[in-house]
Amino acid sequence: MLTIKNLKAGIADKEILKGFNLSVKPGEVHAIMGPNGSGKSTLANVLAGKPEYTVTDGEVLFAGKDLLDLSPEDRAREGLFLAFQYPVEIPGVSNINFLKTAIAEIRQYKGLPPMEAKDFLKLVKEKQALVELQVTLANRSVNEGFSGGEKKRNEIFQMAVLEPALAILDETDSGLDIDALRIVANGVNKLRSDNRSFIVITHYQRLLEYIVPDFVHVMYEGRIVKSGTKELALELEEKGYDWIKKELSQQVEA
Amino acid sequence: MNTSTTIAEKITPGAVLLPELDVLQTTLAGNEQIRFIRRKALKSFRLQGLPERKNEEYKYSPVAALFRTGRSFPASTHSLTRNDLTPFLVPGMDAFLITIIDGKLSRELSDELKGTPALQLHDLASLEETPSAVFQKHFGADALITADPFIALNTAAFRDVVFIQVPNNARIEKPIHILNIVTAEGAELVNPRILIQVGRNSAIQVIENFIAIGKAEQTLCNALTEIRVGSGSTMLFYKIQDHCKNLSLISTTQVYQDEQSHFDTHTVSLSGNWIRNNLTIVADAEQCETHLNGLFILNNHQHVDNHTLVDHRKPNCESNQLYRGILDDKSTGVFNGKIYVRPDAQKTNAYQSSKNMLLSDDAGMNTKPQLEIYADDVKCSHGSSTGQLDEDALFYLRARGIGADSARALLMFAFTRDVINTIRIEALRTQVEELIEKRLTH
Amino acid sequence: MSKENQLLEEITGTEYKYGFSSDIETETAPKGLDEGTVRFISNKKNEPEWMLELRLKAFRYWLTLEEPRHWAHIEYPRIDFQDIIYYAAPKKNKELKSLDEVDPELLATFAKLGISLEEQKRLSGVQSTIAVDAVIDSVSVKTTFKETLAEKGIIFCSFSEAVQEHPELIKQYMGSVVPYTDNYYAALNAAVFSDGSFCYIPKGVRCPMELSTYFRINTSGTGQFERTLIVADEGAYVSYLEGCTAPMRDENQLHAAVVEIITHKDAEVKYSTVQNWYPGDKEGKGGIYNFVTKRGICLGDNSKISWTQVETGSAITWKYPSVILKGNNSVGAFYSVAVTNNKQQADTGTKMIHLGRNTRSTIISKGISAGFSNNSYRGLVRIAKGATNARNHSQCDSLLMGDKCGAHTFPYIEIKDKTAIVEHEATTSKIGEDQIFYCNQRGIETEKAVALIVNGYCKEVLNQLPMEFAVEAQKLLAISLEGSVG
Repeated sequence: MLTIKNLKAGIADKEILKGFNLSVKPGEVHAIMGPNGSGKSTLANVLAGKPEYTVTDGEVLFAGKDLLDLSPEDRAREGLFLAFQYPVEIPGVSNINFLKTAIAEIRQYKGLPPMEAKDFLKLVKEKQALVELQVTLANRSVNEGFSGGEKKRNEIFQMAVLEPALAILDETDSGLDIDALRIVANGVNKLRSDNRSFIVITHYQRLLEYIVPDFVHVMYEGRIVKSGTKELALELEEKGYDWIKKELSQQVEA
Repeated sequence: MNTSTTIAEKITPGAVLLPELDVLQTTLAGNEQIRFIRRKALKSFRLQGLPERKNEEYKYSPVAALFRTGRSFPASTHSLTRNDLTPFLVPGMDAFLITIIDGKLSRELSDELKGTPALQLHDLASLEETPSAVFQKHFGADALITADPFIALNTAAFRDVVFIQVPNNARIEKPIHILNIVTAEGAELVNPRILIQVGRNSAIQVIENFIAIGKAEQTLCNALTEIRVGSGSTMLFYKIQDHCKNLSLISTTQVYQDEQSHFDTHTVSLSGNWIRNNLTIVADAEQCETHLNGLFILNNHQHVDNHTLVDHRKPNCESNQLYRGILDDKSTGVFNGKIYVRPDAQKTNAYQSSKNMLLSDDAGMNTKPQLEIYADDVKCSHGSSTGQLDEDALFYLRARGIGADSARALLMFAFTRDVINTIRIEALRTQVEELIEKRLTH
Repeated sequence: MSKENQLLEEITGTEYKYGFSSDIETETAPKGLDEGTVRFISNKKNEPEWMLELRLKAFRYWLTLEEPRHWAHIEYPRIDFQDIIYYAAPKKNKELKSLDEVDPELLATFAKLGISLEEQKRLSGVQSTIAVDAVIDSVSVKTTFKETLAEKGIIFCSFSEAVQEHPELIKQYMGSVVPYTDNYYAALNAAVFSDGSFCYIPKGVRCPMELSTYFRINTSGTGQFERTLIVADEGAYVSYLEGCTAPMRDENQLHAAVVEIITHKDAEVKYSTVQNWYPGDKEGKGGIYNFVTKRGICLGDNSKISWTQVETGSAITWKYPSVILKGNNSVGAFYSVAVTNNKQQADTGTKMIHLGRNTRSTIISKGISAGFSNNSYRGLVRIAKGATNARNHSQCDSLLMGDKCGAHTFPYIEIKDKTAIVEHEATTSKIGEDQIFYCNQRGIETEKAVALIVNGYCKEVLNQLPMEFAVEAQKLLAISLEGSVG
């Protein structure tokens, strides 16, 4: 599904990812944890193709294609979805119109016929229920006037509608209270399947109680320094990130 | 000669000044450079004439009425003493006092800045003795005579120049307090002229008061202050127009800001018959920060026009304009503010807010907040509102037992708060607060 | 080349869709303007003496004026008023009895523009039917649905016809809102106007369909000077649409129209314009000078006038659709989207003059500048003394695309009554890169994303347009700004 090899990337001459490696198979859920500034969000943005980031080395294969060669929209059309840490507001553009445009473009790219209006509305209604998103999407602009929790739920809702092959959740838990967290996690869990993979980026172990990962990676200074199973997340929670830092410096000394 | 008469005839209202100005120029002090500058300015004034009704910049403040009759230029001697100045000082503020009377520096009523080696105070006489290259370079360099007829007029007719020089790396704790006094009683035209040059990485605070001692009903003061703020320097500049009842005043301030400089100004207009404040900022280097604040509280037939222009020429600068006005009786106010962002000035953040309150049926407010933007990556906005006292708030206060008059005063005072709060010299802030309170409860 | 520049390049490459010219047999007046020209036009139209007198009065007044050149934020060479043809009309030999007699080339022209001059009702139902007055060069060639409207007492015809058939109404209302003394181009228009539309909605009648005038300049070297007059009597309602296009030519052509609206007590007029005159090529060569005076007066209490405009065309646009709020409780509105690209210049806005009590006005202006263009909002809100409890809210936003264009805001706010509440807000910004990336991440390509964001940005204005027009306007916006990124 996704293979990242020795990825080096940064922003404005500052290298942030310093040789990142990861392999994700269909159906797997990978959690990436790490202290602030370790490069977690950079990874998400680089994979999605945010223009201000420059890739200096390495390769990323996604569903057999060179991901780094694709424009951001083509990455999305190929099935890569990023749930933004800070979802953007687009005044005047209704959520419905936004999604309709997205679906139309993706379907056109895949050579599929346009979706019938009634099918589309049915789909929207069904997926809205999934994340308990009660706002009237037709009248409201994309993320405008949404509460923090609504914005995050809207991201998961969009993910549900667009049905990606790989979803990257960038600190989707930040700023959520426990109820909202549970709703978001439920939504994600319902979307888990054998051919859909997830990369869950988080600072805290809390989210992983609800979205149970197959693998947990610890990221530090632009690369993965430790990998394990869900128990690693618990250990991290208990010992804190300083434990990793200490362990690393010991390795260096040794 | 013939041509000049024809031009003079065309500018009917201003023409009455021209014969006087010709004579005046032969009598004024100054070396050859100064005389040359004056002559050039007179030529420019002749060409421009006074702004006509159609002139957009004077649309809401026609000047014709100020020039119906001829005006004389005071060469007065005065008999003021230090004691006479006490009412104009700021209680509790230790400051260097500089007194300008009818456009001429009064050494005896000004403090010696010499005790502070960093500061220098000059007038035309001292510049004659010790010429200053800095003065020669900057005098008249920013306030262009072609930009406005009143700049030309001042430059053609100033008697004296007060030149304050702040060298590099000088942090002056003690504020400089300038009293710009008009003693004239009749149809005189006074042209005070100031140049303040702040070097690099310095800090200075200046307060300028406009004071009319005589009746001044017919008197016009056309003041011009040029300010240069060097890179990394901070200047706070407070213009207080309070003791100038009946005076007509054109007060032009031309500011040039160098890299990473900070200019923070307040214009408080409480008295005066007819006031036009021209405030132009040129932010000609990166990372300049500018704050323009203004407050006017008017009654009777007072007229105050605040005319601002912030010219953003280089990237990454910020400017903020905050003006508040309260108008009673038959007073009229104008806020004409322009934010100009040149193509180079990317990442400019420029804001403007003008709020006004009308208290009487006969008061009027004209607002012209303008944006002229030639760079795309900028954040610029302006907001303007004019309305009455908030009746709901008034009722709320009264329902809590506060009398209607005090409730009204309280709300108006609150309305001025945004501007007053940013006055950083505490003693001055207290004084302004008291003045406002006095105005609002009478 | 950066992506941004590439995209900017693409917009400048966008072709003007309506740039064809039609080979229609045309009768023209000789070039130039003198009293003879005025008489020629009047004579061509077989006008009564009073109308000729009016024209001559306006013409003589115009001669005393100077071409206004300085106050607006626009630049162009002096116009040679002697180098313009003031009258051009498709030739016709006799009165037209039916559509069959209309020159087929002319019908084809309008069909190409998407305007049907045939009165068949659309399948979607009666509501979406639009009555059209089609004006080509100087004259109205066809007004549809006249009979249907006449049943309700509604008069909808060409201005020339109204002069003949309804002289009392023309005498009463023409020039009552925009007198010939108003400005330079209003005087010129009053002297040489050739045609336009007239509409009268009688007391208590709600016009059952949208009325529309479609303006087309075809002949080279001509100026178009039309006049529109809309009168809504007590309690009447009408929604009026105006569309404009012109062929691509190297020369600049002058369009100096006058529109007057009068609403009596409880009446309402909605006037919508989609202005798509030829804007000139990307070097700024050719294009229409659009110097238009539009003004309405809410004469009666509780009456309403709203102007909605989507301005994408013209080399230069100079217009300020205004409302005089004379009746108590009257309401004025101005909703505008103005797009300038390449070397286009627009100086547009409105005037809201509050005279009556409890009058309200709303101004929403969205300016979008791209290429090397300059786009200015200029507006006046005046609250006269005695206009108690007047309210105005103005919102003027500018969007810049690229760093070679300019966006300006020049509001004038004059308040002489203490009970007024007037608020004005303005912002300048560019399309956020994060917004574009967000759309990209959902599979939407940048060009589409820009169109989506721009349409969202203009939504408050587009919402005011009737359905058919809104769709048209959205497409037009997308075409005008295809691929541009701020």
